[in-house]
Amino acid sequence: MSIEVNGGRRGLTDPEIAAVIMAAVPDKPLETQRKMNYFMKPRGKRINEYEVLCCYSQPTPDWIPGGLDWGDWTQKFHGGRPSWSNESTEMRSSDWLAHRDPAFRWHALYVKDKAEEWRYTDRFLKAYSADGHVRSIDPVWRDEVLGDYLGAFGFYEYGLFNSHSSVVRDCLGDTLRMSSAMIGLDKVDNAQMIQAERTFLSKLVPGFPESTDIPKQEWTKGAIFKGARELVQDIWQATYDWNEILFSGHMICDPIFGQFVRREFFMRLSSYYGDNLTPFFINQMQLYFSQTKGITTDMFHTCLGADVEFGDYNNRLMRAWANKWLPRTVNALKDFMAIYATIPEIKGVSDKAAIEAALVRVFADWKRDFADPINYKVDTAALVKTVLSGLK
Amino acid sequence: MAISTATKAATDALAANPAPVSVGAQEVHRWMQSFTWDFDKNRTKYSTKYKMANDTKEQFKLIAKEYARMESVKDERQFGSLQDVLTRVDAANRVHPKWNESMKVISNFLEVGEYNAIAATGMLWDSATAPEQKNGYLGQVLDEIRHTNQCAYINYYFAKQGQDAAGHNDARRTRAIGPLWKGMKRVFSDGFISGDAVECSINLQLVGEACFTNPLIVAVTEWASANGDEMTPTVFLSIETDELRHMANGYQTVVSIANDEAASKYLNTDLNNAFWTQQKYFTPVLGMMFEYGSHFKVEPWVKTWNRWVYEDWGGIWIGRLGKYGVESPRSLRDAKKDAYWAHHDLFLIAYALWPTGFFRLSLPTQEEAEWYEANYPGWYDMYGKVYDEWRARGCEDPSSGFLPIQWFIENNHPIYIDRVSQVPFCPSYCKGESTLRVLEYNGKKHSFSDQWGERMWLSEPERYECQNIFEQYEGRELSEVIAEGFGVRSDGKTLISQPHTNKDGKLWTLDDIKKINCVFSDPLKAL
Repeated sequence: MSIEVNGGRRGLTDPEIAAVIMAAVPDKPLETQRKMNYFMKPRGKRINEYEVLCCYSQPTPDWIPGGLDWGDWTQKFHGGRPSWSNESTEMRSSDWLAHRDPAFRWHALYVKDKAEEWRYTDRFLKAYSADGHVRSIDPVWRDEVLGDYLGAFGFYEYGLFNSHSSVVRDCLGDTLRMSSAMIGLDKVDNAQMIQAERTFLSKLVPGFPESTDIPKQEWTKGAIFKGARELVQDIWQATYDWNEILFSGHMICDPIFGQFVRREFFMRLSSYYGDNLTPFFINQMQLYFSQTKGITTDMFHTCLGADVEFGDYNNRLMRAWANKWLPRTVNALKDFMAIYATIPEIKGVSDKAAIEAALVRVFADWKRDFADPINYKVDTAALVKTVLSGLK
Repeated sequence: MAISTATKAATDALAANPAPVSVGAQEVHRWMQSFTWDFDKNRTKYSTKYKMANDTKEQFKLIAKEYARMESVKDERQFGSLQDVLTRVDAANRVHPKWNESMKVISNFLEVGEYNAIAATGMLWDSATAPEQKNGYLGQVLDEIRHTNQCAYINYYFAKQGQDAAGHNDARRTRAIGPLWKGMKRVFSDGFISGDAVECSINLQLVGEACFTNPLIVAVTEWASANGDEMTPTVFLSIETDELRHMANGYQTVVSIANDEAASKYLNTDLNNAFWTQQKYFTPVLGMMFEYGSHFKVEPWVKTWNRWVYEDWGGIWIGRLGKYGVESPRSLRDAKKDAYWAHHDLFLIAYALWPTGFFRLSLPTQEEAEWYEANYPGWYDMYGKVYDEWRARGCEDPSSGFLPIQWFIENNHPIYIDRVSQVPFCPSYCKGESTLRVLEYNGKKHSFSDQWGERMWLSEPERYECQNIFEQYEGRELSEVIAEGFGVRSDGKTLISQPHTNKDGKLWTLDDIKKINCVFSDPLKAL
């Protein structure tokens, strides 16, 4: 037969071709080691599918610790700067490929989860609208808090999202890069969910403004988000060290400011104001926060902080970064306290004592999960007091 | 508390029409462009000589969740096919052995491109100012992660299910030994991520994706299928569905800079450099993988190349960009000449250096040789007779003590590496366009095989300093280098690479190589 095959004949199904192929196939497999990446050290007992599909996909030379390649870069930036370099961060690692997403999510698993959330969101919104829940939302909460301030908070999420772009470009490991892209996407998802909620409300409530104009005005010119805006801008564009971007965003700013705004303000208060729509979206954001926390604590605590060779140095650096970013985060939260003056006070819910209790929860969580592991000494009571001074 | 007017209106609206309401992706996306704001420090961290417009739109208007839904549906189909029907019919063991070997390289090297494209589009996401344009690049960041995982899945699948797992199971570790690797890094790694952000976009999206992914990802599926491989079409065609969006991103990159003065000065030079960079590697390597890495042939590579690269890309796609001042690259004509012979030249060298691979290579059979001669008249006199000689000297047999590289040495045909493309070439024995040029810089000699690469190097030599395998391994004995690069199978002695795919042929070991005492030398030192 001719060896030139056309007309769409397929080797698997065409008997004539298949016979030639099968005659050439070895009688038994030539290699017994069938596990891809068998040479690597798994995080658990065995190499899992995430590790097979992600680990060592980065072709870095061995002078970037963890790399399996050798030699120089085949093309560099104009002027000779290397494609990737150890100098892109002040952090040091004996293996930049050591990070693992604790949930071991490769792309297919990641999008599967988010796709389900999208389908469920669609079903929920239909049920919510048909049930008429929107009638029970307090008008001030709905029009001012959700219309203006939740919308403005969307810019916080969008700004943090953008801070991941240079991380995705510059970071030194494959699993780091994939995780950073995913937690970045979650942030823009948060911003989009906020806009989705506002668009949804505009469909149900005649006159509710769908436009981003007023929220943007609030974000860029208002006092409530002034500290947050300046903080986000500096994480996004004024910081060049990719580890510092991730650390300032996910180990300081978001676990304190983001957590307070999402969990302690919008989610906790919303039901008191008749709003059971916002918690639906915030809960998704909190899921992403939780997943991100798993990722970034693995990066900074499990890998960098516990690095056999550089752990002490890295922890010292993280403490220095905490000194730099914590006061700015506290200041952002202090500015945010002005929001309470815009809503009707509910005793035990949105009064000073309740706010203080919420702040104590956030700072205690942060101390336990983020400060203590790097041995960062912090007086949370003093921080709470500073923040409360922003109450009008 | 008193009911507000809006609440009353909402109540009335509900009473009048209680139909369920939701929010569509497009309803959210239409606000994307307003998500950003101006501030002093808002500028990219990656400089570009071009200015990307603030109001650039994206063509595929996705939000995060809708993106996930779309990809998830495709994943279900793809992994369903792989894990269900293809496994049940034992498809991985019904692939021609030559093609099984080709997929060790194709899938892993494509993975490198996909992986680096994550970083490349991260850079573009940073560089763009328009939120929609950022969003387009963001979608591509995620796609490239998907494709990295998908390419890996091919190797993973073949390793787990197929006839020869070696090379599929450790390509990420062993790929660095051989002479094809550094060239791959130039086109698919550093070429995407190191340079002016727009120049990188041109490399990645305008050339890599719009031009070469068609043969690499689409045409390859025909060759795979002809040789019994249904795994690759299942995965690669799913990848290709995303590539359309990436080409659109490349198009939008050009649109975003179209009105910038820098575009009229630099765009066509950057495009020409990018095209030459990409084609210099892909034209010979893809042709070699298709034709020499298969038993059943679909069509001569030169025809595929002509259709996808010359006509479709160089003519139609670039033609569409003509209104923005984009012209077909000046180097396209030289590339067309390479499309005929360069892959034959490369296979001669690749086969001569077979022990440094992570795959098995095979000499053309008699019927394959006839096919080559019929489609490339003159093939036998240049290549076929050499293969006959090598075969007669026992190149496939471990006991022969003959490695084809010896033939090049005996006949005084030194093999050089082009400093810019990192592609090996033999100027004294080739039918392609390669000619030797040697320049000295900072006390070091550099070889080049064409004027286009040489020009790139002359204007910016500091960008192309990477040492090649002859410099890296100079003075080292071959079996030592292979062992150091983990080029052996799980028995610790049999090479992963072999010079044949004969089911009854003997397999070479490290000892067989050691006996020959082949030592690397840098040909530039002899000049």
